[in-house]
Amino acid sequence: MAKKNLGKALKDFWYGKPHTAEEGGRRLGELYEDKTGLLKHREWRGVKDTFYYMYMIWGYNYLHMVTDILKFSNNPIDFVKGTWRYRWMGQTYLPVIHWFERGLQGMRGEALYASAWHYRAMVSASIHQICTFFNADTRLHGGKENDAYRHTIYVNETTCGTLFYPWKDAGYQYVSMEMIPYFVTCHVNSHTVLNYIDAVQSLGLPGDPCPMCQAESGLFVLDDVPDASPFVITCNEACDASVSTHTLQDWFADKPLFALPIPMQFDDPLVKKYCMNEIEECWKFVEEQTGTKFSWESMVKYLERQNKLQRDEWEKWEVASKTDYYPINGVAQALFRIYSTQYGIQGDFWEEASEKVKKIMYRCVEKKINPFPKTRHRVIAWSCAPLYFSNWCTWAYNCWGLNTIINMDSLMFDMEIRTDSYEHMLEDMATYHMWAPMRRMAVGGMHHIFELWDYMERFNCDMVAMYDQLQCKGMQGVHGLFEDEFRKRNIKAFWIPHALPDCRTVSRAEIRRQINDYMTTVMHEEPLDPSLLDFDDSMTW
Amino acid sequence: MNKLCKKLLKLLGVLFLANAALFVVFFFDLDGKLMFNVVEPFLKKHYDNMERRDVLKTPYEVDKFPKYKY
Repeated sequence: MAKKNLGKALKDFWYGKPHTAEEGGRRLGELYEDKTGLLKHREWRGVKDTFYYMYMIWGYNYLHMVTDILKFSNNPIDFVKGTWRYRWMGQTYLPVIHWFERGLQGMRGEALYASAWHYRAMVSASIHQICTFFNADTRLHGGKENDAYRHTIYVNETTCGTLFYPWKDAGYQYVSMEMIPYFVTCHVNSHTVLNYIDAVQSLGLPGDPCPMCQAESGLFVLDDVPDASPFVITCNEACDASVSTHTLQDWFADKPLFALPIPMQFDDPLVKKYCMNEIEECWKFVEEQTGTKFSWESMVKYLERQNKLQRDEWEKWEVASKTDYYPINGVAQALFRIYSTQYGIQGDFWEEASEKVKKIMYRCVEKKINPFPKTRHRVIAWSCAPLYFSNWCTWAYNCWGLNTIINMDSLMFDMEIRTDSYEHMLEDMATYHMWAPMRRMAVGGMHHIFELWDYMERFNCDMVAMYDQLQCKGMQGVHGLFEDEFRKRNIKAFWIPHALPDCRTVSRAEIRRQINDYMTTVMHEEPLDPSLLDFDDSMTW
Repeated sequence: MNKLCKKLLKLLGVLFLANAALFVVFFFDLDGKLMFNVVEPFLKKHYDNMERRDVLKTPYEVDKFPKYKY
């Protein structure tokens, strides 16, 4: 008996404990400290993966956060000054390694290696944006409008970086006003955004519109947006609440502003033509503000790189849809895609990560390695995800064997942009712009939200995780239609209610409870790791 | 030769100790605990007490800039 126990202990030490309870499993839920979600200790993943994690993820990323700052910053002191000046910077980005931890928990082997490269690219892209802010910000340079300030194009976060490639080779940097101060912060540290939501409500504005719009306005109310560009380009971010956001931004930014809306009914050819005209007007505005002409060569150069990245993604989707060898977990897949397609080719980080992931993926294919061997259901996640709990898919795989293969956020910009002529490019660019986050398949009309069924079949999924953004009036309007369709088509689906960035409305524990209920009462399944069913992480980042 | 060996051993010893210390920080999530319990509360206090410009005092002059219609 003692010999058997010693044998198991040695095996657990070498390979890490097995996943499931029956096999004497790893019980990941017991690693958490109560409420804070901090770890009593990190998971022992076996000798190879523990040290891989320590050196190639934890240590490597800490080190590269520093080298990225040195690489992208004109003066690293500005980075320190910016951290001291902006809450979204200091409070959010210091605990970034814990964000890796939440997304990668329980991952082993190729799933761990590949998913971490997606995270690495996102951190690098974030530091690139942060440095673009701080290089140009007049507040960090004694009110001086320096060269970087004059070479920064300031836009709203759902106005894609692709639109501004023509000025890239002339030294202009595209940066979104909210992608870093709002969007990424919610994933990394969900506490930060609450200050901005409360700030806008403290003015007497109503609390029921989308909290994303509230938070983005709140950034301006608390004067927490760097003054990093002489002009601003905004858009309606796919919903009407955001129109109000931009009225406030127009007021508080107090700069020349061009509004580039995303049309609602983007299937209409006349609307498309209108959108093409608006894009051209926007380019004229940039020319006028920068004094630099549109460069077709620069546009083509970066579009070609973007198209290559898209083709790489299709290659990966082929493997994800037809085999069990795709090594990226649900959260790493979703965030990498929405971030890379929105920010565009502003550096080498996306391409480098994509190449590394492809290498790992083909190793899985060649050696027939299943990176998610405990998969019970192949899940497609649809609609907009809870930003404060985007790592729910990691939890769901560890607890229930629910493997999120693909999600709506990854599929929005499912296209290449032609570069054979200006007319073709403009036509495709309009489509790309109109297929913005939250518009294409969320509030973009009935036909598009129901593309779910096609993608479900294409990716060979047998279950739907349906996000339910409680404060999105557009998606609330189609809730019942989805319920009807799920019944009619006999599709297994569970709902994930949430309020996008605001973790106070529906807690992470409540989301887990809803999935647990579905899996026990409807699916009659037992958890793989019962220690993850219920735990208190109410104060976690 | 002896001296070189000693130096090499010393270097290996230092490297081993540094790695062991690093492993303790990593394994027991000491970096996370430091951020959560010390750094974040300190920074929060700083940001909460920061003087900020009252943006509501910015006049909203709708005609300050052209309409940028082309």
